[in-house]
Amino acid sequence: MAADERLRRTMMFVPGNNPGLIKDAGIFGVDSIMFDLEDAVSMTEKDSARYLVYEALQTFDYGNAELVVRINGLDTPFYENDIKAMVKAGIDVIRLPKTESAEMIHQLEKLVEDAEKEFGREVGSTNLMAAIESAMGVVNAYEIASASDRMIGIALSAEDYTTDMKTHRYPDGKELEYARNAILHAARAAKIAAFDTVFTNLDDMEGFVRETEYIKQLGFDGKSLINPRQVAPVNKVYAPTQKEVLNAQNVMAAIEEAKRKGSGVIAMNGQMVDRPVVLRAERVMKLAKANNLLDAEGNYIEK
Amino acid sequence: MEIKQTAMAGTLESSDIQIVLSQGSNGIEFDLTSDVMKQFGDDIKQTIEDVLKAFKIDSAMVKVVDKGALTPVIKARAITACQRALDMKDQPQWEVL
Amino acid sequence: MAETIQELYLHNPMIKKRWENFLKDRGITVFADQEVDTIDQTIGLFDEQDNLVGTGSIAGKTIKYIAVSDDGSGESGSRFNQLVSALEMKLAEAGHFQIFVFTKPQYETSFQHVGFNTLAKTDYGLILEKGTPNIDTYRKGLPQKPEGAKSTVAIVMNANPFTKGHRYLVEKAAKENDCVYVFVVNQDVSLFTTQERTQLVEEGTKDWDNVLVANGGDYMVSYLSFPAYFIKDQDNAIKYQTALDASLFKNQLAKPLGIQTRYLGTEPTSHTTNLYNETLKTILPPEVDVKEIPRLTAGSGQNVVSAREVRALIKDGSIEPLAQYVPETTANFIKENLDLLQKRILKGQKINGN
Repeated sequence: MAADERLRRTMMFVPGNNPGLIKDAGIFGVDSIMFDLEDAVSMTEKDSARYLVYEALQTFDYGNAELVVRINGLDTPFYENDIKAMVKAGIDVIRLPKTESAEMIHQLEKLVEDAEKEFGREVGSTNLMAAIESAMGVVNAYEIASASDRMIGIALSAEDYTTDMKTHRYPDGKELEYARNAILHAARAAKIAAFDTVFTNLDDMEGFVRETEYIKQLGFDGKSLINPRQVAPVNKVYAPTQKEVLNAQNVMAAIEEAKRKGSGVIAMNGQMVDRPVVLRAERVMKLAKANNLLDAEGNYIEK
Repeated sequence: MEIKQTAMAGTLESSDIQIVLSQGSNGIEFDLTSDVMKQFGDDIKQTIEDVLKAFKIDSAMVKVVDKGALTPVIKARAITACQRALDMKDQPQWEVL
Repeated sequence: MAETIQELYLHNPMIKKRWENFLKDRGITVFADQEVDTIDQTIGLFDEQDNLVGTGSIAGKTIKYIAVSDDGSGESGSRFNQLVSALEMKLAEAGHFQIFVFTKPQYETSFQHVGFNTLAKTDYGLILEKGTPNIDTYRKGLPQKPEGAKSTVAIVMNANPFTKGHRYLVEKAAKENDCVYVFVVNQDVSLFTTQERTQLVEEGTKDWDNVLVANGGDYMVSYLSFPAYFIKDQDNAIKYQTALDASLFKNQLAKPLGIQTRYLGTEPTSHTTNLYNETLKTILPPEVDVKEIPRLTAGSGQNVVSAREVRALIKDGSIEPLAQYVPETTANFIKENLDLLQKRILKGQKINGN
């Protein structure tokens, strides 16, 4: 399991055949950019989108964003060429749609490895993630999440999932309760990221914020986005409170102190600080920085 | 290589470029429409010509409508047009990328 | 998310109503069956709230019924481009890389911005084309007029089939001038196929060296430039279409090819052709002269020689009177193919049009 702790609050979908959106995708400060070769591209333009994303990845500067490509499913004639082109382009993460089993990830991993060898990429340098879009996928979420060391996350894709469940999306999201929790547990057990689904009604910002608060409360790393307007609200929801920041700063200070003393044990207020606490503190500090909550000296900025 | 069929790639949307390749008889001939013809007309042609060269196409009619595309976009559309015109839509020529 | 293109299925009455209303609000009001029935595919552009904000259709190799709504933020240009682009992709999928637009004059610059060239423009209508082949390649493919030819003239005919009347017209032009272009209408909707009509014109005119027979392509009296010629319609529509055809002929053919005069046969019996001739006489001069030659009459001088008469004889199987109306080459062809021609009539091929 790729146990990195990078922030993945926002993963923005960018249609793979739209030069205007692809060119600008880097300017919104999203944590991950997901170029879509699948649903956003019509059957006749699959080749076109593949070359466009390829060339964009060679040229445009997307800063520190994690670059993800949603390829076409393994039951399509585009699957293998998508993998090759994206591995050759040096993409960070390949996202497999409609994942239902560990076997599908194994198959993908094999082709990715072949492509890495063919195009002289370091073997293992291409990460994977899976979109869960069916009842079968939800039931097999853990085996999917733990199928490969390359896996960095799993995502719920609610449109297809609700169709498979013979329902549709409701404003309160009750129909997604089980899937969200199942996917989240699978991701946490496999120590990878969990991404929530998109919210498509751009006119209902209130509903969007409510849903984001809810999935943050559950424990999701972040949300899939369809529009740059959704970036700031998510970041705001994920911003740590002053109290969380101060606490994290104390933990970091305790670590410094322990290092200075050459002590292997980190202690704070007479209590031992264990690993999960350290990880959480590190994450809070990252979030604080990402939200510009700290000044040059590292002091919390009152807003 | 010989162009087998007329092929189009790209769109007329902002930041994109539409390229239509068809059989030519007299080297590579361009018909370019662009709002930035004066500043970038030659660059656009050069980028497309380089791609045609990579595919070893030395005779073609190239009809181009540019809507302010950047070089990687021009290159990607030219590659798509070549693959389609050579009837190799599903066999990407990896060495050209 | 960007605005999305979706197909509109016009055979669904609800969708068709919505489409018509959208177009009506934007000044497109003609939904005659003969226009709508030719549509192969229609697409709609929808905004993020699923409102219809643009539409366009393709029919054969032409773009029709295109309209976009301007949302006030200056985006109508990008909507227009997105639509035209999607329509061009559909046409390309169907193998059409030579495409035409028949639209209102105010859209001229919008289409020119996306690579279309104007073929003809009047106060009421506009024809543009894009791709290859095109009017340039068409002109380059025409037979070359003889070196040193001074007076050059043109005749356009459907020749369904080639009659003594046609021959009389060509003969007159050939004797009075150095070079005569005879353009045969390309549209294949007549009793005699385009190939047959062309062959009969060639055979029937081969005794004159200075007559050049050519296919009229998409540029002369085709569905594109002149749909009303094949569709009986109100006089206004005919005038509107013929004006475009005449202007196309004048600017894209007569001028570049150095054609000084267009020869016409008078048309005592066909209302449409009469209107067409009137329009030619209004639009072509002064740059191109129009010379109207009175119709040849047959036998006792009672009947004008017309192809329509000939087709009626074919239907009735009366071979004998043919010799009065058609040259030997045409008569022979009809005799050899009488069965075939009669079968076409039985199958529903109309013979009382042009």
